[in-house]
Amino acid sequence: MTKYSDLEFLKLRGGQKFLYRLGRFFTGIPKAIAGFFVTVFNAIKSGCKTVGNEIADIAATFIHGDWKTKLSFLVMGFGNLARGQILRGLLFLLFEAVFIGYMVLTGGYWLSMLPSLGKVGPTKVYDEILDVETTQYNDNSFKILLYGVLTVFFIIAFIYTWRQNVKQNKLAEKILASGKPLKSGKDDLRSLVDDQFHKTLLALPLTGILVFTVLPIVFMVLVAFTNYDGTHNGYSNNLFTWVGMENFNTMLNWEVKSGAGRQSYAATFGEILTWTLMWAFFATFTNYFLGMFVAMAINKKGIKLKKVWRTILVLTIAIPQFISLLYVSKMFAKNGILNGFLMSMGWIKTALPFWEDPTWARFTVILINIWIGIPYLMLIATGILMNIPADLYESARIDGANPWQQYTKITLPYMLFVTGPYLLTSFTGNMNNFNVIYLLTGGAPTNPAASGAAGSVGYTDLLITWLFKITTGPESQYYLASVVGILVFIVVALISLIVYNLLPSIKNEEDFQ
Amino acid sequence: MASVKLTDVKKVYDNHVTTVHDFNLEIKDKEFIVFVGPSGCGKSTTLRMIAGLEDITEGTIEIDGVVVNDLQPKDRDIAMVFQNYALYPHMTVYDNIAFSLRLQKMPEDEIYEKVTNAAEILGITEYLTRKPRALSGGQRQRVAIGRAMVRNSKVFLMDEPLSNLDAKLRNQMRAEIILLRQKLNTTFIYVTHDQTEAMTLGDRIVIMRDGIIEQVGTPMEVFEKPHNIFVAEFIGAPKMNMIKTNLVKEGGCYYVTPFGARIEVDGEKGEELIQKGVKPGPVTLGVRPEHMVLAPEGGQDAIPCKIEVNEMMGSELHLHLVTEDETRLIVRVPTIELSAQQREHLGFGTQLYITFKGKVMHFFDSESGKNLIYG
Amino acid sequence: MSEKQLLDRSSDAPMKRHMGLKASRTLANTSIYVLLVVISVIWLIPFICIVLQSFRVESTGQVGYVIPQQWGVDNYQRLFQTDFPRWYVNTFIAALFTAVFQTIIVLCMSYTLSRFRFKMRKPLMRFMLILSMFPGMLTMIILYRVLSDLGLTQANAVPGLILVYIASSGMGYYVSKGFFDTLPKSLDEAARVDGATRFQVLKKIILPLSKPIVIYTVLTAFMGPWGDFVFARYISFGTSSGMNAAVGLYNWLNRDQIEKSYTLFCAGGVLVAIPVTVLFMCLQKYYVEGVTGGAVKG
Repeated sequence: MTKYSDLEFLKLRGGQKFLYRLGRFFTGIPKAIAGFFVTVFNAIKSGCKTVGNEIADIAATFIHGDWKTKLSFLVMGFGNLARGQILRGLLFLLFEAVFIGYMVLTGGYWLSMLPSLGKVGPTKVYDEILDVETTQYNDNSFKILLYGVLTVFFIIAFIYTWRQNVKQNKLAEKILASGKPLKSGKDDLRSLVDDQFHKTLLALPLTGILVFTVLPIVFMVLVAFTNYDGTHNGYSNNLFTWVGMENFNTMLNWEVKSGAGRQSYAATFGEILTWTLMWAFFATFTNYFLGMFVAMAINKKGIKLKKVWRTILVLTIAIPQFISLLYVSKMFAKNGILNGFLMSMGWIKTALPFWEDPTWARFTVILINIWIGIPYLMLIATGILMNIPADLYESARIDGANPWQQYTKITLPYMLFVTGPYLLTSFTGNMNNFNVIYLLTGGAPTNPAASGAAGSVGYTDLLITWLFKITTGPESQYYLASVVGILVFIVVALISLIVYNLLPSIKNEEDFQ
Repeated sequence: MASVKLTDVKKVYDNHVTTVHDFNLEIKDKEFIVFVGPSGCGKSTTLRMIAGLEDITEGTIEIDGVVVNDLQPKDRDIAMVFQNYALYPHMTVYDNIAFSLRLQKMPEDEIYEKVTNAAEILGITEYLTRKPRALSGGQRQRVAIGRAMVRNSKVFLMDEPLSNLDAKLRNQMRAEIILLRQKLNTTFIYVTHDQTEAMTLGDRIVIMRDGIIEQVGTPMEVFEKPHNIFVAEFIGAPKMNMIKTNLVKEGGCYYVTPFGARIEVDGEKGEELIQKGVKPGPVTLGVRPEHMVLAPEGGQDAIPCKIEVNEMMGSELHLHLVTEDETRLIVRVPTIELSAQQREHLGFGTQLYITFKGKVMHFFDSESGKNLIYG
Repeated sequence: MSEKQLLDRSSDAPMKRHMGLKASRTLANTSIYVLLVVISVIWLIPFICIVLQSFRVESTGQVGYVIPQQWGVDNYQRLFQTDFPRWYVNTFIAALFTAVFQTIIVLCMSYTLSRFRFKMRKPLMRFMLILSMFPGMLTMIILYRVLSDLGLTQANAVPGLILVYIASSGMGYYVSKGFFDTLPKSLDEAARVDGATRFQVLKKIILPLSKPIVIYTVLTAFMGPWGDFVFARYISFGTSSGMNAAVGLYNWLNRDQIEKSYTLFCAGGVLVAIPVTVLFMCLQKYYVEGVTGGAVKG
């Protein structure tokens, strides 16, 4: 494809520009992919280099260090203690003690069981005294996986801390050699509210994220490679174990297997993904443009009671979604108010199938989502519209632009530029918009071809509600849910990556400072 | 009241851009030093490193003989005035000025004394109960200075303090800073991009470009003996005319031959050239606009040119001239030296002749830009 | 031509055009008013319906009309014979604790990421961005098992819920970071030069200036758990005493309950909506600021 210079590009017409950009984007894909692999390769290379440098530095520290340093390799914090940094030394020592204690007591067991996820399942034991058979629970796959992961985290933390311990010794030797005093425990504590204040501030939030987000995500990603489900709960019935890529094979296979309903998992996944993307697209852009439209209507010069109109819309944000969504869903039901009203007016004879017909249902959720979403977008658009410099419009009017041209040439580009990142997050957010779908339809109406053992799949089900149904369904196929989750992640990540690269400019966060 | 010493100071940002290269400078006690240079030359970065607001990548900074590299700003005993004043918007003027004293846990009586005293000096007593929002630019500037003043710190740092003011106010505040300096009698480090401020305020001026010190010297030194073309052009307004020409030596005398004219390098400059043993050959000749004078037609030292633009500045005329080979020159002519008739006459396209004396000439190496005598 | 005629001519033509402009503007404005009224009605109708139906006495199921034939507060009285008060208290406690702790965590996180430049800052932000691309639903399975091991599910769901709500709240730092980014950095620097530690800078300079974003964060942190459904349902797992209002009310709309409890749902919904709506209306200004700022900064 011909490449234009920047100036030649300016000569193109609007449509040509767009086609050219699109073309450039697609012809750029192979290069981007190659670039991605180059980046990965370079990252690995530099990673290896870093590790090599670290090892070399550790060795050098050991060779050139004094006896205090050398002993610190074994007894963490010894160097600090010997040089008078009691607080640091004790913390290092304590950490090492806790680590060794943990590894000896339980960590070693979890780690050793991690490759098998448990060897002995529950066994029946005959109790002679009571003359009953009781179940004795042995290994627990769930705990093995969970604590195994935790132990791996702990080991990484230990290696890092040990490395810090070595570094500290090297640094302390250097400082002492230059004749300066080392930092005391008091200095350390003081620096936690000053130059190291960020560590204090981040400690709590990051611990929370690590334990309640990172750990569960790692765990669930690993579950995708096991057969963890209701019949293999790893404890009271059967253990679960590693199955490799089998679950991905099941999910992405076009063969009709038992348990998948009347069609293959891949077909079901494809259908739901298509609807999810369609839904996210319509949900995002209908809200975006209609919200902008309403904002412009309210903000128009000469419109009175601006505050009242705005407040009426904003009011709907305040009311918890579960109330409004559940209520509205019932309003649209076969025997709901809407059908009742329409029939009593004599406009229709039979109830409209808002939730019964697949197309009607899909259309209705998008419609109701507009009702939910416009107030937010109205607020956002109002804020941005007020920020557009008035002289842009004045200048456009002098240049002879009519209102429609002003909208397409000034308002819209400005909005799109400013809200580009918001649109992206809103799109991915809608892909995972559990609340609206689940509370409105619960996925209904049922799609008989797709419904199998993995829960009943409906025409309005998104991937995220499907995932929920799989886990809460009769067989609790956690491994399949996990596979779906990973696939959702991949889709979201791909979309984000593409859109970010297409955005006019990835804004530098410092621009706003 | 302290000396500040920077040794091999270097600043490299995360993106591997070096903004300050091997900066060496000793600032004496009670000296008023000005860092000046175009934007992005690293002057602010250097100041912020002294303040402790930027990490020092390499080298050391000493205040009063103590290395302060690892000290937090609060432990360096410095005061600073920021370009945008950085007044705390939620505090009254009084609280703004008292902020640092309260952090020191000074008794309120003493704080009151100091704050009102500073306010009086700066003429902002009546605004003490106001919030910064209700002040004008000049008043905010005073509050910012007052906030720095009450601290009696060792070093007083100012980062382009006047650049947000309009021209008139700027001149006024400049004079006030000179007065303030006499009252406080402490070490000042002042950053500006404006050479007029630098010349009028500084005991010594540090001229920087791309993170490198181009010259350090008193205002007189940098004006009369610029080390290179950059300094020569940066100091003085309008900037120095640069003429590519030849330096000729004949019979123990140096001559320059700009645009076919032939001007002797007489007086001190000539002697200095001889002393330095400067080789004849192509040079860049620098002459300040105020040192060029109109000459009668036909002299051997007269350079013919045409007027392109005539700017009437009131007390003087700035004539933008173009020579036969399209070199552009600027000449400052005091209005008083011209008769009304002459003034009428100096319009677009007027042919005239200019010349200059040997003692006002600056000689630079055309390649390196270095001053052939002082560089 | 007389002077008067001249004057007339000069003023007449623009007058006419002016009238035309004015007429078309009036037309445009009228149609906008009509539109806005229609929109307002559409947006308010469900809420008006729900309030009206909560006062319906003659039947408890779903009916095809809105205005009750017989008015009364029976439904509200009946609410107190159910577990509803318990759900309400559960919701309130969860929302209150979450509002406090989530605000603290979010402010810590966003302030740090806005103001400090440390080596791991960019990688950390990128890492959190990637984490946020995983559906949060996925983590529920394990969180449920872990919490149930800790005894924090079903009847004890409230503390468990609070833990889940606040634990990962650091991820939602964008909006308030955007706010902190707009506060000039030189304020921090001036204070540090004036002798303040980083902690004092936060306490004495930044926090007093952060009222809008603190209120926004508290408000959203309160509203989240107040209307949360998914996590609450998962963690209470069918145990009525551990449910929050959303889960409890949802169950009343089940196929086998709806005929008995539809008006009950309406009454409960009204009671749940009132406090949060009042709160929201009072603090609307801050909410609007936060939402707009957040979207612009992405």
